[in-house]
Amino acid sequence: MSAATARNVPALLQALREEEFTGTVRVSGSPGGTIHLRDGLVGAIETPGAPNATSALLTPGRIDDETWLTACASEPDADRLGAHLVSAGLIGAAELEIVCTATVFDGAFAMALSPPGSWETGAREPTLVAAPGVEPRALTEEATRRMGLLARVGVMAGELARARPELAGEWSSDGAGASGGPDGMGGLSGFRGSSGSDGLGELVGAVGARAASGAPGGRRPEPWLSGRHRELLGGVNGRRTPRDLAFAQGRGLYAVMLDLSRLEALGLIRWGAGTAGGDRPSTAPRVTPKSPTATGPAPAGAPLPKRRPGRSPAWDRRERGEKGG
Amino acid sequence: MGENATALQISLDRLLDAPGVTGVALIDAVTGLVYGAAGDVSEAGDGPESSELAALIAERLGAAGAEGELESVVLTSRRRHQMLFSVVRPAGDPLLLAAGLDRERANVALALRGLGDRITEVLA
Repeated sequence: MSAATARNVPALLQALREEEFTGTVRVSGSPGGTIHLRDGLVGAIETPGAPNATSALLTPGRIDDETWLTACASEPDADRLGAHLVSAGLIGAAELEIVCTATVFDGAFAMALSPPGSWETGAREPTLVAAPGVEPRALTEEATRRMGLLARVGVMAGELARARPELAGEWSSDGAGASGGPDGMGGLSGFRGSSGSDGLGELVGAVGARAASGAPGGRRPEPWLSGRHRELLGGVNGRRTPRDLAFAQGRGLYAVMLDLSRLEALGLIRWGAGTAGGDRPSTAPRVTPKSPTATGPAPAGAPLPKRRPGRSPAWDRRERGEKGG
Repeated sequence: MGENATALQISLDRLLDAPGVTGVALIDAVTGLVYGAAGDVSEAGDGPESSELAALIAERLGAAGAEGELESVVLTSRRRHQMLFSVVRPAGDPLLLAAGLDRERANVALALRGLGDRITEVLA
């Protein structure tokens, strides 16, 4: 099959792989995105549905903003930026490879959450790419596996991505929630947990119940949580979608969804009753029911003063006998 | 090792020099995604299964009172060992290094020490 006759995005990418295509594939839809190919391999995916490699490096502070801007100024071709970061000693080559590869798979997963619209191929656009890139078939297989795994635990991935989880029951009203840290993402001091990032204990979400002494006041024992889960729980506030949380923490969308489903299984959060409208991620400005929308009618009341050409407001005031300021 | 081997592939290939190591894989501990592998991949173990296994063991240990102390897991069968090590990252989700070892050629204590010492080299 050639790229021109491809019936879907995976088939298109496979055809472009055979052609060793270098360039971009722009996919419309919600969320849609841009797939960057180098010699037919997928080097990067930029989509509103999931953080890209730059976000994954900057948001958690792996590379600080100032250093990043300096590096970008030193190496204007983003395709070569990765090599520059490594040669400057800002990150190891293997670690950068992991970050870039992870975001490619995560971007593909995010784009697979809803049916794509049309697509078009274009010329190469410089961006931070995984080297050498990911085989399109591996992307498709991994996205399918991820969908299947979420379905296995009773979660429809597309619906979960649009849900707005909130703290559940007793955890929502005792200070264990989002208000703990200065940025609303910390706190949760009531939970036992790993303070460091080493050890396999960091790998799991909640590890058992509080020790035999029990929780005070006869309340439900507080689960042990890793730092990763405590941070995620701190960001849950009933308004953020998994995508919002992923961007806020610079983590992968799929990893966040897995951790949220774990927190939900522990009874620490519950999925909000409502989901974001339509298939689109929550990028639209928030509008309250009583406020006017951007395209709606003007509010009722006194009409706005009509501007007459050639006359300034100061002139109008003088004409009405008012004193100027 | 190919001419265009990546830095990660080179790091993993080096781990095969350890006595008895037949295969290694670097796995995302949250998603189970395999970032790279060297040697006999089937000996290293499946990525999603390894990540689920590590999480399950840590969960049970935590229920028993352990808190973030686990660094490695060793599984022993009649012919081989499988080891899982946590890999520390400066930022980002945790990783697992999975290694398969031939039991006749590997000493568990030495392998744990040797691989454990070289984990930091993987992300260099």
